[in-house]
Amino acid sequence: MAQGPSPGIVGVKTIPTNELEPNPHNPRRLFDPEPLKTLKGSIAKVGILVPLTVYWAKSRKTWVILDGQRRWICAQELGIKSVPANEVAEPSIVQNIVTMFQIHKLRADWELMPTALTLEVLMIALQERRDDKLAELTGLDRAVVTRCKKLLSFSKKYQDMMLDPEPEKRAKADFFIELYPVLHDRTVRRMAWFRPDTFTTKMLRRYNEGGLNAVTDFRKIKQHINTAVRAGKQKIITQRLEEFTQESDLPIEHLAIQSASLTSKVREITLLPRNWRRCFATSTRWTSMQKMICGFVLRN
Amino acid sequence: MRQPRARGTAVDAIRIGNWLENFAGYRVQISQLRISRWFGQFENTHQDVAARILDCVEFFREDHLANGYRAVFGRLQGWSKKASQRQERWRFVAFSTHAGENGDRMLHTFRTATGLSATRYDELFIHRSDLLREGLTAEDTVVFVDDFAGTGNQAVTAWNESLGELLPGRPRTYLVLIAAMSSAVQQISAQTPMTVKAFRWFRARDNFFAGECLHFSSAEKAIVLRYCELADNVNPRGYGDCGVLVVFAHRCPNNSLPILHSNRPAFRGLFPR
Repeated sequence: MAQGPSPGIVGVKTIPTNELEPNPHNPRRLFDPEPLKTLKGSIAKVGILVPLTVYWAKSRKTWVILDGQRRWICAQELGIKSVPANEVAEPSIVQNIVTMFQIHKLRADWELMPTALTLEVLMIALQERRDDKLAELTGLDRAVVTRCKKLLSFSKKYQDMMLDPEPEKRAKADFFIELYPVLHDRTVRRMAWFRPDTFTTKMLRRYNEGGLNAVTDFRKIKQHINTAVRAGKQKIITQRLEEFTQESDLPIEHLAIQSASLTSKVREITLLPRNWRRCFATSTRWTSMQKMICGFVLRN
Repeated sequence: MRQPRARGTAVDAIRIGNWLENFAGYRVQISQLRISRWFGQFENTHQDVAARILDCVEFFREDHLANGYRAVFGRLQGWSKKASQRQERWRFVAFSTHAGENGDRMLHTFRTATGLSATRYDELFIHRSDLLREGLTAEDTVVFVDDFAGTGNQAVTAWNESLGELLPGRPRTYLVLIAAMSSAVQQISAQTPMTVKAFRWFRARDNFFAGECLHFSSAEKAIVLRYCELADNVNPRGYGDCGVLVVFAHRCPNNSLPILHSNRPAFRGLFPR
């Protein structure tokens, strides 16, 4: 990495409150009112004890806050005319993004797509795609990095839908994250009729029209595909999934292939150690048919 | 708001013909039968005020939209079709992008209207999710394209929740619209760095329920409100209480009176969304 991890300090000064701007890379858009109230009370009594960290943005000709946005919000609300600030050199975009990530830990209810796009800029600038390295660099949880990368794998039109200005019409990141394993299933991708964008659009429409109970329904879909594959029923699942995609009123159960489910169970049993097999063969939860098949498999 | 006919003017073939001509091109065909059915939802004594509402509807046909975009775009400073004469980089982005709605459509209309359909301009039309990667600076310009701003809430929320973060270099930002409420423009200007450029501005007098709207009496407004409550009991005065009588060829904004766009069994609008 060419840039240093943080911008160097230039000096301390007092800056008019109304000449400061929040950092555009700050992923923290909402501030909890209660802690803010406490901070405001403290600042009202003793003033700002810890200077803000700011830089002079040359192109925009303005002061930008690198650290201390909550203090600045309080100062504005209290009508404090100027605030103490440590001036640092203007960071590069990469330094700025990394600093913002490090300062503001991602909260679960934040929209993930803007974070994913910010991460994309880092990935391009640093030529770094490894989840663990990106997690280390940004302070993001590794699972969040993985989720962001999944979102970035979708076409631009879907990414745009996750950025829609109307919150109630905005496509949910969770939908795409749950869809991802189905979309990238090797069997599914080999299906002649399958087109990722068409499939995504159909599933999105189905979800919006209530044809899916929850985004986690994609886990059930994936399970049905896996079961069919394990039982060697690729041909049937290919047809069933195509029908499920085309006909929005077909339930998820349409993907369940009974014989595949049974064959899959039997195959699993044949791979189990001998003592486990005995245990399953005597289990009261098994139907007589399953026991009969299981017995047949064990004998052969 | 257009001027309605005088009270008591007959709903005759000429008047109906004017409406049919005026509303031609809506996404759902506006036929004489459809208009009759719409009128049928009003009591006989209220049909005169219903007719006068239809007189007032401002309908933007496709060619009106194109003209509007062309006019607004012509007022943006720093733009030139020639890249060498253009002030730094320009990017055009659809403002709304939810599935099946009009964001991309409006951008397409804008692109065609402004003569930027040629492939050499492709790079100027980008996705919203490309904005951050573009690394735009204060010298560059982003033009967001949409059709209508009723309250300004959507634009402010969009800026606060994502656009601000996607444009860290704070390029000059325009929101180009066909029409906007002046209050919405004020809100957007006050709470975001976006400059709103609208072809048609609606003021307080364009709000059917506002005291400034003198085409209808208080009694008539009360009658209409009753029907609007049937059509939409949550936003009977239109979303954001905008109370406008605006219809675009591709869709009727939800800021318009719900008796125009509602699709509820209790009252079906003439211009279902």
